[in-house]
Amino acid sequence: MREETIDPELTADERRLLEDLLHDENDDFSAAGLQRRNFLKQVMAAGGGVLALQLAGENNLLAQAVPASPSAVPPGTINTVKLSLKVNGVVRSLTLDSRMTLLDALREKLALTGAKKGCDHGQCGACTVLVDGQRVLSCLTLAAGCEAKSVTTIEGLAKSGKLHPVQASFLKNDGFQCGYCTPGQICSAVALLKEAKNGEASYVTKDLRTKGPVQLSPEEIRERMSGNICRCGAYPNIVAAIREVHEGKDAAQAWSFVEQTNHSS
Amino acid sequence: MNEPKNIGQGLDRIDGLLKVTGAANYATDYKIKNVAYGVIFKSTIAAGEIATIDLSEAEKLPGILTIITHKNAPTLNVKGGIRGGALLQGPKIEFFGQHIGVVVAETFEQARYAAQLVKVTYRNGEGRVDFEKLAKEAELPKEKDKADKRRGDVDAAMSSSEVTIDAVYETPIEHHQPMEPHSTIAVWEGDKLTLYNGSQIVNGAQSAAAATLNIPPANVRIITPYIGGGFGSKGGQWANLVLTAVAAKMINRPVKLALARQQMFNSVGLRQKNVQRMRLAATKDGQLTALAHETVTHTASDAEFVEPCGDCSKLMYATPNSLITYRVFPMNVMLPTYTRGPGKSTGSFALESAMDELAHKLNMDPIELRIKNEPAKDPSNDKPWSSRTTVQCLQDGAKAFGWSKRNMKPGVTMEGDYLVGYGVAAGTYPARQRDTSALVKLSRKNNEVEAIVELAASDLGTGTFTILAQTAADALGIPMDKVAIVIGDSQLPPAAGSVGSVGAASFANAVNDGCIKITDELIAKSGKQFFKRPTAREMMLTEKLASFESRVDAKPPAEAENYSVHSFNANFAEVWVHKTTGTIKVQRMLAVTGAGKILNPKTARSQIIGGNVWGLGMALMEESVLDPRYGNFVTRSLADYHVPSNLDIGTIDTIFIDEDDKVPNKLGIKGIGEVGIVGVAAAIANAIFNATGKRVRDLPITPDKLI
Amino acid sequence: MRPFKYSKTSEASKAVSIVSGSPKAQFLAGGTNILDLMKEDVERPDQLVDITRLQINQVTTLASVGGKAGVKLGALGKNTEAANHPLVRQQFPVLSQAILAGASAQIRNMATNGGNLNQRTRCPYFYEVSMPCNKREPGSGCSALKGINRMHAIFGWSENCVAVHPSDMCVALAALDAKVEVQGAKGKRSIDFKDYHRLPGDQPEKDNTLEHGELITAIDLPGNSFNKSYYLKIRDRASYAFALVSVAALLETNGSTIRRASIALGGVAHKPWRAYEAEKFLAGKSATAENFRQAAELEMKQAKTLAHNEFKIELGVRAIVQALNQALES
Repeated sequence: MREETIDPELTADERRLLEDLLHDENDDFSAAGLQRRNFLKQVMAAGGGVLALQLAGENNLLAQAVPASPSAVPPGTINTVKLSLKVNGVVRSLTLDSRMTLLDALREKLALTGAKKGCDHGQCGACTVLVDGQRVLSCLTLAAGCEAKSVTTIEGLAKSGKLHPVQASFLKNDGFQCGYCTPGQICSAVALLKEAKNGEASYVTKDLRTKGPVQLSPEEIRERMSGNICRCGAYPNIVAAIREVHEGKDAAQAWSFVEQTNHSS
Repeated sequence: MNEPKNIGQGLDRIDGLLKVTGAANYATDYKIKNVAYGVIFKSTIAAGEIATIDLSEAEKLPGILTIITHKNAPTLNVKGGIRGGALLQGPKIEFFGQHIGVVVAETFEQARYAAQLVKVTYRNGEGRVDFEKLAKEAELPKEKDKADKRRGDVDAAMSSSEVTIDAVYETPIEHHQPMEPHSTIAVWEGDKLTLYNGSQIVNGAQSAAAATLNIPPANVRIITPYIGGGFGSKGGQWANLVLTAVAAKMINRPVKLALARQQMFNSVGLRQKNVQRMRLAATKDGQLTALAHETVTHTASDAEFVEPCGDCSKLMYATPNSLITYRVFPMNVMLPTYTRGPGKSTGSFALESAMDELAHKLNMDPIELRIKNEPAKDPSNDKPWSSRTTVQCLQDGAKAFGWSKRNMKPGVTMEGDYLVGYGVAAGTYPARQRDTSALVKLSRKNNEVEAIVELAASDLGTGTFTILAQTAADALGIPMDKVAIVIGDSQLPPAAGSVGSVGAASFANAVNDGCIKITDELIAKSGKQFFKRPTAREMMLTEKLASFESRVDAKPPAEAENYSVHSFNANFAEVWVHKTTGTIKVQRMLAVTGAGKILNPKTARSQIIGGNVWGLGMALMEESVLDPRYGNFVTRSLADYHVPSNLDIGTIDTIFIDEDDKVPNKLGIKGIGEVGIVGVAAAIANAIFNATGKRVRDLPITPDKLI
Repeated sequence: MRPFKYSKTSEASKAVSIVSGSPKAQFLAGGTNILDLMKEDVERPDQLVDITRLQINQVTTLASVGGKAGVKLGALGKNTEAANHPLVRQQFPVLSQAILAGASAQIRNMATNGGNLNQRTRCPYFYEVSMPCNKREPGSGCSALKGINRMHAIFGWSENCVAVHPSDMCVALAALDAKVEVQGAKGKRSIDFKDYHRLPGDQPEKDNTLEHGELITAIDLPGNSFNKSYYLKIRDRASYAFALVSVAALLETNGSTIRRASIALGGVAHKPWRAYEAEKFLAGKSATAENFRQAAELEMKQAKTLAHNEFKIELGVRAIVQALNQALES
């Protein structure tokens, strides 16, 4: 299979465009906004040219994008809870309605919109994030209960301009279509690999009495990823992406062509 | 055209990086200053009228900005193109779960709670919600397309033929349930409205919103570069889009409104239930003498939509006698709409199951039966095929799948505790191109030429971004990473939608035409003669132009009308059914597809496997169950309405026929989003029959139906 | 979701006293079910006491009964931890299987052992607040009784409620004769698992015999002599779905003879359903397909079906047979 290598080098023009895109012109921009821009810079550094150009359109929209300050309390808020937690390595202090879920806190307070609201009831997995290293559903987690916890979202997986291997593998294996479930799928997959290493079992594990790391068969990956619904049906590619990281060897090309034998017109 | 370097390559998605990092902005991901939150509340009866709405408790909650009901909603144009009603224009209730109001508050938590405190009383009407009771009232649809199509005399052929099949196949109500619930952020600046909203048809959303709000389309901007799936449900637009705009206007502040997953069952259309009677007649050696496909279905109480279930039946097989009919009756249920492979996915379940039944009765291989009845031209209109790959799909698929290992006798092949069966089905979907414009902008800095291509196209996961970059790069002679594709914005040149498999053909041909046109103009402008046609990039460099742009308005070729133009496919399934518990595993599937030029096999394959996953869901689990007493869906969440999980899916192989058919359009693109699901449910049901000897004619085939 | 006061404590007695003293206060552990229900306006607590910091989350060895050591599961341990703990995997693999058959990895990472017992039914009429439901609103009627009841009970239901208990873990706990340790304002007590969950009778609003404010502190798994086991779950899709029927099957065999069987069913009643008739029949019999079938039929003969769930009888028979077969192979 032909693999597109990610070129970390930007041309001078792209770098200039990037600077323009991310110019700190807006004093209103909160810490969250800055974090998002730093994150975008990282992503772009990883992505190169097309992406930077691609974002040119997005930039117009982001220009007025000012997320609410995480400590600001909207009018009429009752039962406020104050807490500090670590999000993607940064300590964040929040004041929020006790009813707010971790998902809504990430999205609406911290402007980290990677985690998605697919069902808000624990039935789809699109909101999956890592809390203290474990994959959980942020839609069924009260933000108020996250005092002193460490949360990693999809935005926190790429490190110093380099994609997490699972992210790179999803990209290469086309482990998504619309992309809406993808942040949840990737967070889930990152945790899954660790769980397997730790020897955690699944319902399809043949012998529960066996100890030690689990070699992930396609069946094992499928069962362990079944809490993440993908309506586009990218499942075979998601499994391939995870296998590739787990086994450390390239997945085979997944399609083939045959010559047309009969031309009617 | 230049030598293709990128078209046909299985390249990674250019928008993939944004998607794997969480940076792709879907409608509610835009960070908008001072945004308020809307939550819709619903009717809890199926038919009647609102008698009273008591907002007193809700209104006095802190943080509530306004509550909109039919009493204070502005007058909207209900014929403006928003589907499904529910625009708060009066007290009338047409279905359970209809929107009856919107709470707008400072926070989502406040709005959701207030919506729960609204108290409504009703004057109950007679709800028409029992399909079985109402089906006998079904009448001929108003839509011309659904008139009876009769050729020859089916009844006579049925009574004189040696072998016949007469069976009824049922497919239930299904819901699209894209992962992104329908969501909107509405921002007014003076009389200009911006709507961040997932829209498969960008300009359609713009015109529907504008017309419904009684404002000029030029005042409405739709922004939708990333769409979290749609499958037809974001083709038309629904009340939630306009109600968000109304709310934002009323409080003079931006409003964000996302439907709750539970609301998705009553807000954005559905696939209707179809009861399909199939009659087939044949000679002893398998020559079809008659084919009748008669569908009874339901629509909304105040609007008609009928899925074209007979579409495959009218053209897949040669037969002297044919009958295609539709009958429909109104119900107090949400308006049905286009759902992946509309009519073809459900209709092919009936047709291709019946063909399998006929083959079994004839003791004939089902592939052989299909090939034997291959029509030389389109039986529905006598037009020649531009290209038809059915036979090749079946034969090449049989070879690749190991069809020869199939036991003709059902219910006898075992692997351990499992009964094993093979099934096959054929399918088709029309290929069309629609009017689309595109603007190509070139800029040069020193020795680099970059292109920005703009059009109001959409990418709901289909790969539009990527295939357009590939097309433009090849047509301009510019490397892929110097091409930016800007889509998903109604201010861009107007484009067709990502619906009915017209997206790729319409968008890519427009982009290609635009690139050819800009190259022509550059050459003409230079006043020079060339032996070898230069690329646009070369012209920009040699003419030392800083920038140049050109717009094209592309149209489908007129001569395509003289042909019957379709994608074709064959689906194969190997199914294991547990002999004791009846649980079903689809071990492997194979899709062989002749869909013209495959621009990017990586994203094309994803479309096909997605279609297969949808077909499996249709075959084995998807069903929206109505309570015939109240008209509510008992399957009201993703825990009750099952879509396939990862473990449900085995191996899916895809083979493309390298088809060169330039009749439909210059690039020979036919589209693959829809055809991938057509025939899949039948292939699985046929495999289950081959495994167990049980013929299940009502979907979904859950374990209880096999014990 | 109604507004509520959020508080947290690391002392069990304090948590118990807050909740006991306030009729609308509730404990918050994993939150996977209560938040779901609060968003739907089914549960309406005015106060949530976050107990996730209580130090009752360990898996420990329980003093042996008759030479077989048992295991104590701290109530606030996560389902994932219980399923993967070496003591559970070695001694009670059926419990691991049952837990792993439920929900998804994410939910099992959040859900606690105690919370799993207190899951509420997934009956859609219970969730839809506009519909009558005696469990949600006593006296309002049961919409499922004459409604769509494919997923509903075939054992032990009443005219007031035909809902089923959704847990997989509890089915295994029922078969294992677990004990539920609770702490309330009036002190501590231990409840036999068979007495923990209730049948609906005329009080379907009560899922179990816990008093308001009583806190589950541990689940005890007594040592046993079963040498074969399996948890089988049959559902409408392969994973991440509630059971149509599930079976926890435990066998103590000697050669081909069954000394003792313990069988519990899920998805069929308001509580995990112990198949006592089948167990009685199998004791002392040889482990043959015919005996399995007879035992299963004997049990399912007592079932009373509703309009849409007649299939559960035959499916139940087959599920019991298959679970026993797979237990035998374990």
